Amino acid sequence: MPKHYRPAGKKKEGNAARYSTRSQALKLLQVNTKLFRKLCIYKGIFPREPKKKFKGNHHTYYHLKDVAFLRHDPILEELRAKSTYLKKVTKAKAKKNRELADSLLKRQPEIKLDRLVIERYPHFIDAIRDLDDPLTMVHLFAALPATDRMKIEVKRVHNCRKLSHEWQAYIARTHKLRKVFISVKGIYYQAEIEGQKITWLTPHGLQQVLPDDDVVYDVLLTFLEFYETLLAFVNFKLYHSINVKYPPILDPKLEASAAELYALSRYLDANSRNSDQVEVTQLEESELRLSQLQHQLPSNKAGALMQLVKGATDENEEDEDTKECKDFFKNMKFFLSREVPRESLLFVIPAFGGIVSWEGEGAPFNEADQSITHQMVDRPTQGHIYLSREYVQPQWVFDCINARIILPTEAYLLGRVPPPHLSPFIDNEEEGYVPDYAETIKRLKAATKNEILPMPGAGVEDLDDPQNLLAEGYISRTEAIEAAERKQKMMTLEKQYHDELKMELQVTQSSTSNTNKQSSGVDMEAREESLPDIQQIANDTANMSKVLMSRKKRGLYEAMKKGQEKKKAHVDLLKERKKKIDEGKKSKKN
Amino acid sequence: MDDNLASASLKRTRMRAGKTVSVEATSPKKKNNNNDKKKKKQNQTEKKDDQNLLKKTIKSANSVQTENDASHKIQELEQQQNTTQELSATDSDSDSDYQVFSEDEVSEDYESLRQSEDGESESSGDEVHGSYDDLNNDNDAGHEDQSDGSESHQGVEESDSSEDEVAPRNTIGDVPLEWYQDEKHIGYDISGKKITKKERQDKLASFLASVDDSKNWRKIYDEYNDEEVELTKEETKIIRRLLKGKAPHSDFDPYADYVDWFKYEDSLHPLSNAPEPKRRFIPSKWESKKVLRYVRAIRKGLIKFDEPKEEEPRFYLMWGDDSSTAEKANRLSYIPAPKSKLPGHEESYNPSLEYIPTQEELNSYQLMYDEDRPKFIPKRFTSFRSIPSYENAVKESFERCMDLYLCPRVRKKRINIDPETLKPKLPSRKDLKPYPATCYLEYKGHKGAVMSISTEASGQWIASGSTDGTVRIWEVESGRCLRVWEIGEPVHCVAWNPSPELPVLAASAGQDVVLLNTGFGNEERKRVGKLLQVETHTASDDSDNMASIVSWLQDDKLGGIRLRHFKTVTSVDWHRKGDYLSTVMPADILFSVYLIFTVFVYSFLSMDHGRFSYF
Repeated sequence: MPKHYRPAGKKKEGNAARYSTRSQALKLLQVNTKLFRKLCIYKGIFPREPKKKFKGNHHTYYHLKDVAFLRHDPILEELRAKSTYLKKVTKAKAKKNRELADSLLKRQPEIKLDRLVIERYPHFIDAIRDLDDPLTMVHLFAALPATDRMKIEVKRVHNCRKLSHEWQAYIARTHKLRKVFISVKGIYYQAEIEGQKITWLTPHGLQQVLPDDDVVYDVLLTFLEFYETLLAFVNFKLYHSINVKYPPILDPKLEASAAELYALSRYLDANSRNSDQVEVTQLEESELRLSQLQHQLPSNKAGALMQLVKGATDENEEDEDTKECKDFFKNMKFFLSREVPRESLLFVIPAFGGIVSWEGEGAPFNEADQSITHQMVDRPTQGHIYLSREYVQPQWVFDCINARIILPTEAYLLGRVPPPHLSPFIDNEEEGYVPDYAETIKRLKAATKNEILPMPGAGVEDLDDPQNLLAEGYISRTEAIEAAERKQKMMTLEKQYHDELKMELQVTQSSTSNTNKQSSGVDMEAREESLPDIQQIANDTANMSKVLMSRKKRGLYEAMKKGQEKKKAHVDLLKERKKKIDEGKKSKKN
Repeated sequence: MDDNLASASLKRTRMRAGKTVSVEATSPKKKNNNNDKKKKKQNQTEKKDDQNLLKKTIKSANSVQTENDASHKIQELEQQQNTTQELSATDSDSDSDYQVFSEDEVSEDYESLRQSEDGESESSGDEVHGSYDDLNNDNDAGHEDQSDGSESHQGVEESDSSEDEVAPRNTIGDVPLEWYQDEKHIGYDISGKKITKKERQDKLASFLASVDDSKNWRKIYDEYNDEEVELTKEETKIIRRLLKGKAPHSDFDPYADYVDWFKYEDSLHPLSNAPEPKRRFIPSKWESKKVLRYVRAIRKGLIKFDEPKEEEPRFYLMWGDDSSTAEKANRLSYIPAPKSKLPGHEESYNPSLEYIPTQEELNSYQLMYDEDRPKFIPKRFTSFRSIPSYENAVKESFERCMDLYLCPRVRKKRINIDPETLKPKLPSRKDLKPYPATCYLEYKGHKGAVMSISTEASGQWIASGSTDGTVRIWEVESGRCLRVWEIGEPVHCVAWNPSPELPVLAASAGQDVVLLNTGFGNEERKRVGKLLQVETHTASDDSDNMASIVSWLQDDKLGGIRLRHFKTVTSVDWHRKGDYLSTVMPADILFSVYLIFTVFVYSFLSMDHGRFSYF
């Protein structure tokens, strides 16, 4: 008799009635695995974990409700129709009827996914919450080469590029970007929209590697199809929220010169200016101001007008953070040299209120502009140097943004090895290890908060170590304060510890013999003697309570302990390495 | 014979040989062209009588052409004819061909040209030939013709038909002339007589003759017939025309009007006289039907044209008013996928130095298992521009996709607590005070060490076994010794029967296990007394096989049963219900190396039978 025998006529019960394995689901839906995969991806259906896996551990289980959900969706019929239609095409091709095949391909039915988008994300906030993966994927495909073999079409790559630029333009325009991190894998951005933190990864702007094996491009492309639709609708909504017509019409010249992002931001500026103007006239503000605006219009300075109008309308809806980001690079003018990765900086700098230009066609201003304050360079030497501006490496921008202070540029100057670039997503205290540079930045922040102006030029003698160089000069004061604080804290802690020890000792002594309380001198001696004893007692009690835990809890406790130990081991390793490096440096100096 | 002159001419031929070789090397095609031209021209010639001669001249003309400035040469020749200049024969530093022409006799020049052609066909051995040529011009002529054969072969062959008409003097046919090199004759005439070679003129004499003779430049040596031929004015004209690329005869019109000899209208018998069929001039019925069908299909909309559809706006305000779409979806709860882990410091392109593993660590990674090896190894790049593209970007994206649609999702509570809070709160030791810190009761009486104690089921009594050979029962609360049994041997183990109905005490001493009647209770005492008495004789009957291991004896002195084993018993224990008893004794070490414990379990009693059984 099989293990789960069910007599004939008796209904299934429990998990077996509520869940079905993957193959059962396939049979139920009358689809093949490919179609099932597509359906699942479009509809966002995922396997679930039944409490009891009635068919064994190696099966994938879907909830029967989910399967029914797939079964009653019209998309199933549409997909089936499409696959039949594609069979016609293959047939025509097999008969070498090229003409028919082409015309069939041209007229193939289009599957629209907007219904699925609204079904999966009934609220805008849901869509925003789930935007991490779509953004990452779209940004990745925007950088991929279109290949026939992988069925990556040129059209889709272009669409991805377009969508990613639209998204970036919105983020930059509304100053929603919060954190940026350059990693080996690419550049991570974190924006905050409606209180949701959205993190996405863009690959470095280089030729991407398309692995042949172990990647099924069909899966990726199916996901991409849904993501493209989702992102387009999200973009529509976002553009709508700032009164801009959605499919933006771009300046073809700028678009051709690969400065789409700039073209988009210009479009956004222009459009929102118009709408703002309408608002202003509707609001009937003071005549004086309006005349001012009119006066400024022909001068074609998008920024000035916008600031004026926006100042009145937007202030209430902008939160503190956005305001800070908006004015972060205020009054700074950046120029990007040829070798600097343009895309990322063209996005990041305007997002934090800076004005940026680049070397190439369609740039708003050229290198000779005297008002440029910073020039981004990423080369060992610079031929012609303008004295009016600072030549810094691009990392400076990212570090400034993450630290939210304008860092001194000394360490990032032309030709120097920049200080380490730290992840803004990590809580150093929680991690248990604080890198040196994080400490330095923290001090700098404290210094700016206390309005202690850094003293430039100090600490130049330590040129080889940028971290020291940066900090040393103006840390001294804050450090002194901090050190004093720390000392005090340590003192209090120590005192507390001693007190506690004393208390414990007194208790134990009183239990064994009540006569030992005579002088403090004797007491001190006794304490020293009994110190290891106390330790042992503590150990014993810990073990005792561990013995008394239930088995489940003990397992949990041990797992947690293991995790903690692992973390600690990692931190120790880092500390050890750091120590070695320091020693090596010292020995080199000597 | 003038040696000087001979050497000079030798030099020249050498020079030319070298030159022509280079020409041939560069333009082999040109020669072919010349051959074709030659063929054409030959066909066009209508004069048959001087055919042979003409051929030769053409040949010479060709060879001149191969020298690349043929027309120039002809002009030069003309000039020479007009002026008849005297030139020094010893002018050896001449390197241009014109000067060579002016120096030498025309015939010799022709010779030299032929030689140069010769040089074309055989390049390396030319110098030897050259010296040889100079010594014997006749031989040279024959030899040269043969070597030339390969080149002018077609021309010779084609002219064969025309040659039939004017028979040449020599009848040897188309054989290499060098066969006759060493003979005194050059061939045979039509009657079969030998044609003897002419006496060769001295170079100097021939030169002088050429200087004197104004017609000399028109003379050509025909080595086949071994005679000198003088070209007529007409012939030179023909040559000149040929060189210009015209038809040889001036009266030939290359662009004559076309005369259509096969005119259909005028002919008496046309190719076909059938009348034009009707279908050729009335519209096709089937075609019109087909057109009609298409028209109908188009009208019905069966045929659609691939016109670009007008782009309707694909995107619209999907989440217009969030409150309106707030109705609850009738489906399972959506579990959002966990977000991917945010990168730490070690993933930076420029991490702090301590994040980068040392070389030793990297080596140790190689020794690890694949699953233990860290997935990501931090790297450091000193500038933004030097970051390479990440090779796993697509792969990681794909893995994420697979996770999204294939990983089961479960909501799990993540406990974010300090693990120490999981520990149960234990009262501290001082809170448990006062616990007994001093000795409260002592059970005095044993004279040896107490090996084992056992508590009675009710907890009122303790039994103790000692090395002094006594088993004692104590009252727990008072410490009073209730009973003492003298067993005689050191007692290792005592055990109370856990059942309260059977207050029996088992004690092991040496090889014996003694079951003692403690005598507690009233009814129980009697029953136990009965139990412990009846069994002695039947036990030995019951099993013979066990007799060697254990024997049951009645011990009247103690009022119980003595189970005698063949080895020392170390331990005794009761079953929880009190029905069975087990003893442990170490097996003989002699029999096995290990210390094996043999366990006997005795069924202590079944009340009905009133006796022990064992197995």
